[in-house]
Amino acid sequence: MNVKTNIMEALDNLFSAKLRSFLAILGILVGTGSVVALITSSQLATEHALAQFETMGTNLLAADVQPPQSGIVSSQQQTSALTLEQMPEIQRVSPQIVEVAPYITLFQSIYFDGEAVNGGQVIGATVALADIMNIRIAKGRFVSYLDRSNPYCVIGSSIAADFAAKGVSDPLGKQIQIGDWLFTIVGVAQPWASNWFFLADVNKGVIVPLDVSYSLSQYAKINNLLFRLVPNPDIPSVQAMVLRELKKLLPNHNISFRNPEQIINIMKNQQATFTWLLGSIGGISLLVGGIGVMNIMLVSVVERRREIGIRMAVGARRSDIRRMFLMEAVVLTLFGGLLGIILGLLCAWILTEVTGWEFHFLITPPLLGFVVSVLVGIISGFYPAHRASKLDPIETLRSE
Amino acid sequence: MIELRNVTKTYWMGKSRHEALKGVSLQIDTGELVAIMGASGSGKTTTMNILGLLDHPTTGEYYLNEQDVSQLSHNQQATLRNHSIGFVFQSFFLLSRLDALQNVALPLTYRNVGAKTIKKQAMAMLGKVGMSEWWNHRPNELSGGQQQRVAIARALVGDPNIVLADEPTGSLDSKTGQAVLDLLIQLNKTEKTTVIIITHDERVASRCPRVVKLRDGLVMEEDG
Repeated sequence: MNVKTNIMEALDNLFSAKLRSFLAILGILVGTGSVVALITSSQLATEHALAQFETMGTNLLAADVQPPQSGIVSSQQQTSALTLEQMPEIQRVSPQIVEVAPYITLFQSIYFDGEAVNGGQVIGATVALADIMNIRIAKGRFVSYLDRSNPYCVIGSSIAADFAAKGVSDPLGKQIQIGDWLFTIVGVAQPWASNWFFLADVNKGVIVPLDVSYSLSQYAKINNLLFRLVPNPDIPSVQAMVLRELKKLLPNHNISFRNPEQIINIMKNQQATFTWLLGSIGGISLLVGGIGVMNIMLVSVVERRREIGIRMAVGARRSDIRRMFLMEAVVLTLFGGLLGIILGLLCAWILTEVTGWEFHFLITPPLLGFVVSVLVGIISGFYPAHRASKLDPIETLRSE
Repeated sequence: MIELRNVTKTYWMGKSRHEALKGVSLQIDTGELVAIMGASGSGKTTTMNILGLLDHPTTGEYYLNEQDVSQLSHNQQATLRNHSIGFVFQSFFLLSRLDALQNVALPLTYRNVGAKTIKKQAMAMLGKVGMSEWWNHRPNELSGGQQQRVAIARALVGDPNIVLADEPTGSLDSKTGQAVLDLLIQLNKTEKTTVIIITHDERVASRCPRVVKLRDGLVMEEDG
């Protein structure tokens, strides 16, 4: 018997037990569908997250300075910190550095009109930060170098929204209290897409000139630097040169670096783990589907004992019987698998429509779903087929 | 030519031993029409299973065309059944999902033959049993006599050496039974096929030139 005859026969047999075949197909359909849907959406989610990140550019570098533990160093070293005046010097260490943005983050109580402002984080910054982190102004202007030590500030979009809810539609010119100081609002930032690179939330922040932030707290020190580099920079070499310079300026401090590529790699790793997890969950439902197929094939073997006996009497070998049932199981799961792939892609597409991610066809999940469903067919069909082939024709043909 | 030499068959049911055949020797020439008779428990079904290569004898030899086939493997048995033996059963045993033509073609599908040849041979065989116009009917659309004709066509389509008919008229009324028996006898003459009919019906046996009677697992007498 050739393969074509085998497949035709399998289809014929499956058609004659429509409801049963349908139920078996349903199990595989849901299983394959969930594998395809979960893996596809997980990968699309990764791509979405990465795309957000990549728009920021990969020509960025962050340096974080950690002061040494107090008590083990002298007081002279403890007070040492980077100053705004050192920035041009740091920028000059490599021609690949285009811009340096030092910043200070402080947690201070912020009051407006006598009420505490939700969440407010104080960010001491120069105009370079707006440039590198793409902070746009909705109203007014950003804080400037020219502000020197004047208490001006820019508020984030969430804070502005809070103010608007209190009836203050135009916060420009209004004053807010940070610590013991009163600041005049000179600008409102546009909603800002947060990223894992700049560690403060601009939307819930109040940006003040870097010089001014020193007066707010004795702990105000430049502990973070952001660098914008030339396109396609040699990040390790820049990093090494910056490190040498910072070590010279701040002996005994711990200095660590972050760059988007590093973070993208971490994200990719995490997402790969996540994809595996989701794939395994889908795999479990496929396993259940496979058990369903096995169950249904076992019932089919019992019901078709007579047929098996007749086929053996006319000359079917045990391998012919085994192949017949195996083929049925495979055709069944293949059918369920193909429908499942369509269903899974449809689910993934609906998800992208709902979440606003970009949908595009990924070849791996459907391919994986296809291969796995065929394997499930072979594995779950093997035992019933084996049982069928071991039947004794004399037993099955005994007259009722 | 078929020869059974001192064939025994012992079944074990738990610890109790049952000797179905106690030493059957039998020789049947090519083209013969033989009835094997006996009451239930006489060993005629066991004899048929051994002749039909569905079972192995416990001891003794079975020669089919000068070849000892008593201890073949399952696969060798299946292949030999496919080529050398045709079965006709009391309850027809047609596959209900297949039409008459597909039922007749069934033995050929286990040979390495093209689909067109299979169809042609099966159709020709249906013609010989007078069932050509019913080729696309399923068993449940056919009468008992018609079903048995289709079953006979299936037994003969592979051009076997022996046709083993187990109570072929058992589930038919006497008139239809006569017609089916006539067909078997006629095919025995025209196709020169050895036909062995297992029966307990005297009227069936009386139509056969040779009758072998079994009792308690032994050949009691041979007429003919």
